[in-house]
Amino acid sequence: MSPLPMNPLLEQFLSEARDLLEVTGRKLLELEDAPGDQAILNELFRSVHTLKGNSGLFTFPEMTRVLHAGEDLLGMVRSGHTTYSRELADSLLEAMDFVGMLCGEIEDTGGIDASRSVAAQHMAEALRRQMPSQIPCDAAAVPSGSSAISPIAAIAQIPIEDSSAFMRSLLSAIPEAARMAALRQSRQGDQLHWIVYKPQRECFFHGDDPLNTARQTPGLLWGRILPSEPLPPLAELDTYSCVLAFHLLTAAPREELAEYCRYFSDQVEITAVSAQWLADEQRDDSTSTEAPMAGESFCQFSVDDRAVLERILATQRQILLLDDRPAWHAGRLKAVAAVLANLGQAAGDLSARSDIQAALNEALSTGRIALLVAWIDSHDSNIAEACFPCHPGSGDGIAATHAEGRADASPVPESGPTNAPAEDGINFGRRAEDNPNGPKSLKVDQAKVDRLMNLIGELVVSKNALPYLAERAESQYGVRELSRAIKGQYSIVNRIADEMQDAIMQVRMMAVSFVFQRFPRLVRDISRKLGKEVQLVLEGEQTEADKNIIESLADPLIHIVRNSLDHGLEPPEVRLAAGKPAIGKLTIRAAQEADRVTIEIVDDGKGIDPAEIKQKAYEKGIIDEATLERIGDREAINLIFAAGLSTASVVSDLSGRGVGMDVVRSAVEKINGTVLLESILGQGTTIRISLPLSMAVTQVMIVESDQQFFGVPMDHVVETVRIPRSAIRRIKHSQTAVLRGRIVPLKSLNALLGIAAIPRANSDDELAVLLVQAGNTELGLLVDGFQETIGVIQKPLNGFLSGLSAYSGSALMGDGSVLMILNIRELI
Amino acid sequence: MPIEYKKNRAVFRNEVSVEEAETLLEWLQDKPAAKVDLSALSYIHTAGLQVLMAAKTGIASWPKDAELRAWLEPALKSKT
Repeated sequence: MSPLPMNPLLEQFLSEARDLLEVTGRKLLELEDAPGDQAILNELFRSVHTLKGNSGLFTFPEMTRVLHAGEDLLGMVRSGHTTYSRELADSLLEAMDFVGMLCGEIEDTGGIDASRSVAAQHMAEALRRQMPSQIPCDAAAVPSGSSAISPIAAIAQIPIEDSSAFMRSLLSAIPEAARMAALRQSRQGDQLHWIVYKPQRECFFHGDDPLNTARQTPGLLWGRILPSEPLPPLAELDTYSCVLAFHLLTAAPREELAEYCRYFSDQVEITAVSAQWLADEQRDDSTSTEAPMAGESFCQFSVDDRAVLERILATQRQILLLDDRPAWHAGRLKAVAAVLANLGQAAGDLSARSDIQAALNEALSTGRIALLVAWIDSHDSNIAEACFPCHPGSGDGIAATHAEGRADASPVPESGPTNAPAEDGINFGRRAEDNPNGPKSLKVDQAKVDRLMNLIGELVVSKNALPYLAERAESQYGVRELSRAIKGQYSIVNRIADEMQDAIMQVRMMAVSFVFQRFPRLVRDISRKLGKEVQLVLEGEQTEADKNIIESLADPLIHIVRNSLDHGLEPPEVRLAAGKPAIGKLTIRAAQEADRVTIEIVDDGKGIDPAEIKQKAYEKGIIDEATLERIGDREAINLIFAAGLSTASVVSDLSGRGVGMDVVRSAVEKINGTVLLESILGQGTTIRISLPLSMAVTQVMIVESDQQFFGVPMDHVVETVRIPRSAIRRIKHSQTAVLRGRIVPLKSLNALLGIAAIPRANSDDELAVLLVQAGNTELGLLVDGFQETIGVIQKPLNGFLSGLSAYSGSALMGDGSVLMILNIRELI
Repeated sequence: MPIEYKKNRAVFRNEVSVEEAETLLEWLQDKPAAKVDLSALSYIHTAGLQVLMAAKTGIASWPKDAELRAWLEPALKSKT
């Protein structure tokens, strides 16, 4: 297949497909908790159905095939033909993953590689294997499959529902000889398939010859040609527009059929045919030969039509039962009779006209309207019965309802039975899919939001220039009034810019459920693989944070959850032995605290043994002997975030390579977050991640050193103090000071940055110390002076500057100067 | 020629391809009462069949090819 150009339709399809897949995955898991929930099932079916329908717009036979199988399977579950099981969910989830992968492939390459066809085939087969109708009908040929019920019994249990009834009606078209041949084939263990092949109108231009295609169908037993729409008059016939469709019955296996139909799979519907249906045909044939009944002919109308018919009939009856006898009574009767006769004719009831004429004659001559009322009643009841077999013949109906018509003197027809079908009629025409129930939201390309964000950033910067301007107006030009006016304007612009920034920030906000939603599946898969029983509790899914933060949170969280499942939670036996419930509990909790988001991953597993960690860390050379002796338990367990440490004795495909927690820490720290671990041996582990709400604006404190200004992120600032030079002590080469009873190491910022200047003291011979913290380390930075704290849009350093690890980025100040932001973590 | 047009009868022979359909349609539009002889027919393109079905053409004789006849007979008969 040639790669498709990425058109807007395809783009939309992919974006919708991803949403639908996500919904499908979630519903599948929900269904696992509530297997009988029809609402979930319906929604699930709908999403798969929509996805399949959408995929049919494009030439992705592989995707459509898998989805079609999934849809069929779900249809079976929905109608109660097969029960929802974990295995079924497994195969459906797998199929959805496959479809997701195909979507990715389409996005990358514009098409699906032909080699996927085989995988799609297997996937569809796996799905179809879960369907009961796949079991051959002959009891002798039943493979020792999962179903213990004999297939015939199973089919007997199936309530006759739409599809099978529909199939039966189709099968009734098969001539006797072909039907017998088909039954014979089926007895030999071949699965029969009914194919509806509806070629595209323009198929002749593609070089297709549908008739030939149909004739060549593998395993063909019988086939027929029908116009797929009423054939136009000869004069209007377009020779090159195919208006034919084909019904085929074949004994070929589905795989072979699917392969045969590979290039027009969107034009065929393949249905497995139960031999039972074929065998039943004899009965159906005999009943269908009976002459149609008078009232039965109404059944050919749609539900909507029937509702209208009922109203017409009810009105006619009302007219007939009117008590007054005006001069035009005869005309009124004639009018009613004419309406009834026309109705009968419209319904194809040929006997109606004469019946009504007779009734009218009687009414006109004797004044008895009973016969006319009876005719209405007999037909009315048939309509009310809708599609159920209509029994009363016209003669009987009149006789039976004759008395009732007279007895029932009430002129107003009962509304109960007549209204019900009318309501049905309203619902009938509206597809559930047309009424999507989801939040209405705009899909905006992230680049556009980013651009807005950048523009706001620039606005904030240029806004910050106004105070400088005001100052200049006053000090340089001495225009105080103007300066004040500028300041006034500044406060207005400032407020608007702040609000705007906030609004954009809101746009970029995403609920953590974006990350959380994948956990039910992940936990389910992993716990099943490990043979553990885990109950996952998600809390605070609505907590929001910046998109970048949420997105970069995904991988660390997955690592942590995997680790918790693999190392934290014990298998059920061990848990029971330890006096804990067999089912482990994993809680992922998100909450907002001031301007930070905290995420806790709590398990009630075996916890972490600090002694073991210390030993391991010492063996791996992460800590030295002195640290080994000195380190506290709390610090020790946090060593698992150190690179190269793995607590698992065996490396599994889940975790234990000693990279996991290290990666977690660096990923969290990259987005200015912190991660902390607490664990009680035998009771469980809590990992707490704290993240900023947004990375867009960083609060920095400006410090001065050697007449240069630097920004220090407020996250790292503990306090600012001035310490008299005399209070600083030297321990070997390091300077320290005692601050609130603690010994704090001091370092000169100049020295750290390689500036050859000593820190300047103020007039009281006090040094400015900025106490900063990074991780668990505290340090006093000796600087020359403190300035204000401002919010800046931090820009990463690019190009040659990116190698400067001492700075985390730069920011533009209001006066146009560049502020370098210190990377405290790297500095100390 | 796969189709031989006579005064009031078209004789189909061997294989009738998609190219014949247009001519056949025009001919049948002129002669609504015409009949077709399919006895020597072994293959007909869907387009040609469609024309026959729409024209409700009378069939003078069915194809000797039983398999083809089984396909054509119900489709063409039901319309006559």
